[in-house]
Formats: sequence, structure tokens, C-alpha cells
Amino acid sequence: MRATDLFDNYIFGTTSDGEKTEFENRLKSDPEFALAFDKHKTILEGINQHEQRTHLKQILATIHQQEFGKDAKIRSLKEETFIKKHGKTFAVAASVAVFAVLGTVTVLSTGGYLLKQQSNAITDLKRDVTELKYSQDAIIEGIKDATRKPLKKYAPANIEGTGFALNNKGYFITSWHMVNNADSVFVTNTILDRASAKLVASNAALDIAIYKIDNIESIKNISFPFSFKNTGSEIGDKIFTLGYPRRDVVYGEGSVSALSGFNNDTTMYQISIPVNPGNSGGPLMDEQGNIVGVIRGKQSSAEGTGFAIKSNFIKQTINNLENDSLKKDLALSGKKSSLKGLKRSEQIKKMEPFVFNVMVYKK
Amino acid sequence: MSKVTYTDPEFIEGLRHNQDAVLRALYKKYYNLVLKYVVNNSGSSEAAADIYQETIIVLYENVQKPGFELNCQLQTFIFSIAKRLWLKQLRKSGHTLRFKEDEEAEVVDVSEEITEHLKKESDIEKMNACMESLGEPCKTLLKDFYVYKLSMEEISEKFGYTNADNAKTQKYKCLQRLKRYFFED
Repeated sequence: MRATDLFDNYIFGTTSDGEKTEFENRLKSDPEFALAFDKHKTILEGINQHEQRTHLKQILATIHQQEFGKDAKIRSLKEETFIKKHGKTFAVAASVAVFAVLGTVTVLSTGGYLLKQQSNAITDLKRDVTELKYSQDAIIEGIKDATRKPLKKYAPANIEGTGFALNNKGYFITSWHMVNNADSVFVTNTILDRASAKLVASNAALDIAIYKIDNIESIKNISFPFSFKNTGSEIGDKIFTLGYPRRDVVYGEGSVSALSGFNNDTTMYQISIPVNPGNSGGPLMDEQGNIVGVIRGKQSSAEGTGFAIKSNFIKQTINNLENDSLKKDLALSGKKSSLKGLKRSEQIKKMEPFVFNVMVYKK
Repeated sequence: MSKVTYTDPEFIEGLRHNQDAVLRALYKKYYNLVLKYVVNNSGSSEAAADIYQETIIVLYENVQKPGFELNCQLQTFIFSIAKRLWLKQLRKSGHTLRFKEDEEAEVVDVSEEITEHLKKESDIEKMNACMESLGEPCKTLLKDFYVYKLSMEEISEKFGYTNADNAKTQKYKCLQRLKRYFFED
């Protein structure tokens, strides 16, 4: 066994009592071994400290951005009296995913604001409302938007995320990882009151689920704005998304960074949109307003690295359906996107009725 | 809606227990104090935000220490730390010190806290440099194992190694490299 393994086992407490005594005796009798152990501990402590500090900085930068960024009070102080800024004390990533950071904070044994253990390479971006996040949401919304119309009182969902319509017959797509094992699913958005939805198709491997909304009165007469891009996107293409990382619809933009996702998965794009928990299932759009993908998740180990399932896999999922009438119902419109050429704010207005806050209840 | 105001001991307790809402409330409460000081003393709002965040880090790290007790108002402590950090920053940038010091604001001696913080800061900086030289996937792999306590099976799956033993060998190599950078530089 390597010395480092002995050290790790001892530190992690996986050594048996006998081995422990042996280890401690060796520390006393073998100075070289003791020195190596000290160095090992120093390194481990260093790694932990480094991660904690990185994380705490991100949290603070995020809070700052939310509370004092752009539209906040800071502007009331006269900017012109400020001299050129001094060297930054530390470079902080301003685009840190808010809920990804604050929402999954948990304490590790060493103390500190640290990210919860991520066992998946890709962090699913569902919002686990039952955890910390619900209270966070409430706080942020309560403080920042005290004037906003009160939310109707419903039991908080276990998970929230985003979904978008495939047509105006009530079908919409969302992420399988959100609705997996769902007891019931509801959707809402700026014009749609809370409506229940039923699962009609899914592809777990692609992380795609298709649902149908029961009552679509309020949106059925609104013209459906999307079209689905037939050809793939290129690296560098500008893209944007709308989603529900919190109760309000949130816009994000960026570009296609790579034509494959985590571990070279070619069903996905790597994107540089700051995506947060709750963005899962949201539409990835190109500048002309074509759907090019579905937001899937982000890399837990790297900031600013998101992933989206390519839109042709939505088509593939639909084409592989065995139920012919459903297939017909879901046939994607070949019409041109009515969003083309519009200003982004106009595009968003037209999209909003067809992008949903998806609320998932589990038993 | 959550509680918006906290007493000093509540802030300390909340920080000690890593409560997000408390951290946020604290951050909001004293930012303008530090902003005003920095801006009145030749700083930009960005510099103020940096100094303030570093101040909160110093507070946080002190609060985590067992037996930490605040001997003055939290506001005074925060202001004293921020002031020291800002003066240091000004000196470093060779700025001519011309102060419109706020005579109202009380300060306490925080030399010990500052010295300790700077030492830690330089340790972290060194580790950061080593981590950067180490690069990926080593950086993430080591953090996954030693900080987030992922098992070798999980790491193997995450990084696409054929099995846990393989992942373990990789981890070993990464760690050896990190030790080399850290202790030989």
C-alpha cells in the first residue's frame, strides 16, 4: 500500500484499531514517515482551504451582484468622484450561478460555505424547492419585489424548472431529470394560470420529457412563435434562453462553446450561458428565434459551462414515438419562426406565453 | 418573508452556522459603510466591493474560530478591518495618502486579525498557483476526493476512467504532482 493511502485511510478514519496503533507507532519511530504525513496533511488542508475560499468569494460576489449590482443604490453615490479603480483584491467571477451557489450550500466537516457534494459530472439544474432554495426564493422575492402581486398560495413544489411549448396544442418539453418519479406536474407563466399536465412521452437517455397541459384556453389563440432549427449550430453562434431559475422569468445569453457536451457527448452543445438551477428544460434559441436545444445542466466542476441537448434530438424523440396519433400531434411545425428579425425584447415578449415554470410534486 | 434585522450576536451565530440569509442580511447592512469610506478615500465602487468582501471573509474566518468573542460592536469590527485593508491597498498601489477620515467612526485594534488573514491569504494564493499549474482534470479530481469526499467509484465514473483502481492511480499521480509543486517551489 502506498504511504498516501495509509495517510488517507488514517485521516478518513477507515483504519482498523490495530492498524491505527501501528500507524501511530510508526509516526513516532520513523521521522521520514512522520514528515511525509505532515506534508500530506498540509496539502489536504491547503486543498480544503482553497476550495472554501473560492466558494465563499463566489457567494459574496453573487450576493453583491444581486443586492448592489447595476440597478441598486450604489448609483446614488456620485460616480464621477471615483478615481480609476485600483487593482482588484481578487478576481471574482461575477457570473456565478446564484442558486447553484447559495442554494446548495452545505457545511462540510471542516466548516465553511461549501458546495454540496456533487456526484454527477453534470449538475442537473432543477430547483429542489423543498431544500434551502425555497426559503431563499421567498427571501429574495420578498425583499426585492415587495411590490409585486402576491403569489397565490399553493403547496411548494418539490422541484421547479422550465419547459417550453412544442406547439399551441398544449404540448411542451422539459427535462426528464426533473419529472422523473413525479406524482404530479403543474405549469404556470406570465399568462397561464396554474394548470396541470400529463406525461405523454419521454426519453431518459436524452433527458427529454414531453407533457401535455390540460387546460390551454389562455394560450391556444396566441400565435406560436418557435420553429426548430434543422441544421446544427456552429461554435461561436450567439444563443439565448428564457427560464425560471426563480419565480420570475429570467433571460440569459451567450454562445455555443463546443459541439459536444460533457465527456464528448455529441447529443449536447456546450454553452456559455450562465445557467442556474431552475433553468433545466428551458429553450435554447439562436438569434433568429429558432430553437436549437434544451438546457440540460452544467458542469459541476467548472463555472460558466452549461450543456444543452441539441434540437435534432427532440425531433428524433418525436419521430421514434410508436403512437401515431401522438406523433402527428407533435409533428414540429416547418414554418419559419415568427421571431426572426425582431428585437430581442420583442422576441422575448412573444416567447413568454410559451415558456413555462414547471412545478413538480413528488410523493 | 424572513427576518430582516438581526442583533450582533444573531449575526455572529448565523455566520458561524453558515446561514445564507444571515450572510446576505449582514452583507447588505454594512456595505454602504465601507463603500462610503473607500469612496471618500480615493477608491472606486469596485475597489470598495472588493475590500468589503475581503472584510466579510476576515469576519467569517474569525467567527469560525472556537471561542471567538466580539469585544466591540460588529459595525466597529467590520469598519476597522475594512479600513486596515483599504489603507494597505492604497499603500501598495503607491497612492498618495490624503485622507478625509471619518472622525465619527470608531475603530478597534485588529492588527492580529489582519496579520493572520494576510498569512492565510498568501497560503491560499500559493495553493492557487499550484492548482493552476496542476490543471484539469487533476484539480477537480483532488477536490472531488478530498473536499467533496466522492468515492473512487464516483470519480471513476465522472472522469471516465475504466475502474476505481485506475481513478485511484490518477488521484495518486495528481497528488504527487501537487506536492512537488507545493513543496519544491
